Amino acid sequence: MRIAFGGIQAGFWWYMAAGTVLLLTFAGIGLFRGAVPIDEGEVLAVLARHLLPGERVADPSVDTIVWSLRAPRVVVAAMVGGCLALAGAQMQGLFRNPLASPGIVGTSTGAATGAVFALTFGLAGSFLLAAPLFAVAGALLSLLIVTRIATRDGYTPVTTLLLAGVALNALLAAFNSWLIARSWEQYEAARRIAYWMMGGVTDRGWVHVGMVLPGMVIGCAMAVWFARDLDLLLEGEEVAASLGVDIEKAKRAVLWSAAILTGSAVAVSGVVGFVGLVVPHLVRLLLGPVHRRLLPAAFLTGAWFVVGADLLARTLAAPEEVFLGVVTAFVGAPFFLFLLVRHESEVAVSR
Amino acid sequence: MTEATGSARRAPRLELVGGGVERRGRWLLRGVDLAIEPAMLTSVVGPNGAGKSTLLRLLSGTWRLTEGKALLGGFDLSALPRRQAARRVAYVPQTVRPTFEFTVREFVTLGRYPHENRLFGTRSADRGWIDSCLDDTDVLALAERRVTTLSGGELQRVLMARCLATEAEVLLLDEPTSNLDLAHGLDLLGLARRLACEGRSVALVLHDLNVAARFAHRVAVLDGGALIAEGPPAEVLNPDLLRRVFRVEAVPLEGSAAPVFDFEPLG
Repeated sequence: MRIAFGGIQAGFWWYMAAGTVLLLTFAGIGLFRGAVPIDEGEVLAVLARHLLPGERVADPSVDTIVWSLRAPRVVVAAMVGGCLALAGAQMQGLFRNPLASPGIVGTSTGAATGAVFALTFGLAGSFLLAAPLFAVAGALLSLLIVTRIATRDGYTPVTTLLLAGVALNALLAAFNSWLIARSWEQYEAARRIAYWMMGGVTDRGWVHVGMVLPGMVIGCAMAVWFARDLDLLLEGEEVAASLGVDIEKAKRAVLWSAAILTGSAVAVSGVVGFVGLVVPHLVRLLLGPVHRRLLPAAFLTGAWFVVGADLLARTLAAPEEVFLGVVTAFVGAPFFLFLLVRHESEVAVSR
Repeated sequence: MTEATGSARRAPRLELVGGGVERRGRWLLRGVDLAIEPAMLTSVVGPNGAGKSTLLRLLSGTWRLTEGKALLGGFDLSALPRRQAARRVAYVPQTVRPTFEFTVREFVTLGRYPHENRLFGTRSADRGWIDSCLDDTDVLALAERRVTTLSGGELQRVLMARCLATEAEVLLLDEPTSNLDLAHGLDLLGLARRLACEGRSVALVLHDLNVAARFAHRVAVLDGGALIAEGPPAEVLNPDLLRRVFRVEAVPLEGSAAPVFDFEPLG
């Protein structure tokens, strides 16, 4: 199943090239097609006005649709997909389990709690960035709680971390339900929460791009810096330590970067499921477990996958929109099962 | 053989001074004074649960001592950053099946971690080195195979190759021959002995006392978390000690330089 024509490294570059083409294609469709038909030339004129130097004029209504509605939506979708897939790849590596998801230590439920909190108490109504900021805070706070619980004498066993994460996830999910039940009478708040929980990038603007960007940059930088450590951690902590990994530092760095990435993504898109689980799993099957290749490839794959899924979300039931989280789950879950069954039989034959 | 075995410098002495470790209220090892000498192959022997694996973990610095010190060339091993320690001391735990699908070459390259640049990883110069390590343990032909598809013996030789890839001067191997057939077992022990003769410090946990006696320069006998005896095999391995520690009747066989025994249960 692994891509290796012309060597493993060459296979990686082919994969990245193909992913870039897919991402650009999907992004192009996202920019050029939409509910309001706009001439291709006009779209190009708008893009040129914003991206190329020099003064140009464009029809203001077209400019608004292309540059303020379609473009940030595509960019946010790509960023969210990339962040979730990258964080998922990190968690699968850290827990040595291909079924781990970005939120396994409670970070995405924590982010949801933060956002739901902001929405139920009306903070989001008075301040646009309240929900995203509370979401990021919720994600980081969840990780802080889980690591505090799991750490003894400066040592954090991943199994304890995992169990603490499961417990916190359950607790926070119950808390979220309670908050939502409380807000039932306030129709507007309940509707916003429900929309948010189902995930999506509808009506996201450049302010949301700015919201994900810092977390994405920090999270990616940390992820790349500690990528090699994850390769060694796959072999168990004892082996990793004997080969020179400062395991507690590496684990902490991986956890925090994944929490920052997950928190930032969930903050602007709500809960977009299955991307962080399916994408890294698929990329590992194709490119192997070396994280220096796996992490960037997962990021790119997550990006085109979510941009593509958002295209489906927009067009499947047009003019109505399907929720993005629903689309990713509908595409992701069966595909994941297919991989699982296929891979299992492959393993069975090779033994 | 190739360069992987040929480049050893004089290794530092690795020693445990009053070493002991306590886990969950139980002393796994206590009061151990033992040196792994340079240019010597030291074999660690003892019954199940004697603390052999624990001893190697303490010597490798992957476990923290509860009391005493581990000294590398006279310096406290725990004061060294992990990366630097890993460049000098290599430790191979008992074989565990890998679950992630690295190729053999990728797997052995993990051993280069302490030498790698964080961002750019292995340089092309390292690749030749990896090849020679694979060659030394007779697994070069497996280089592109997935580690998950290897047999127990192949995997053990791949682990040895990874250990060589670290370029460490002190090698600590926990039961490196447990899955090997006779020929590969003898090859690996021969390799270990050659590495020692070239100047490295090598310690092996072995279960076969006759093999230990034949290949090792020195034997360390552990029992119940304590060091019982240490010295040249001919002095240490005698029927009296074997009866006490291993609870077997050892009958020495004539006609061999190293002591060779036939074992019978105590009756």
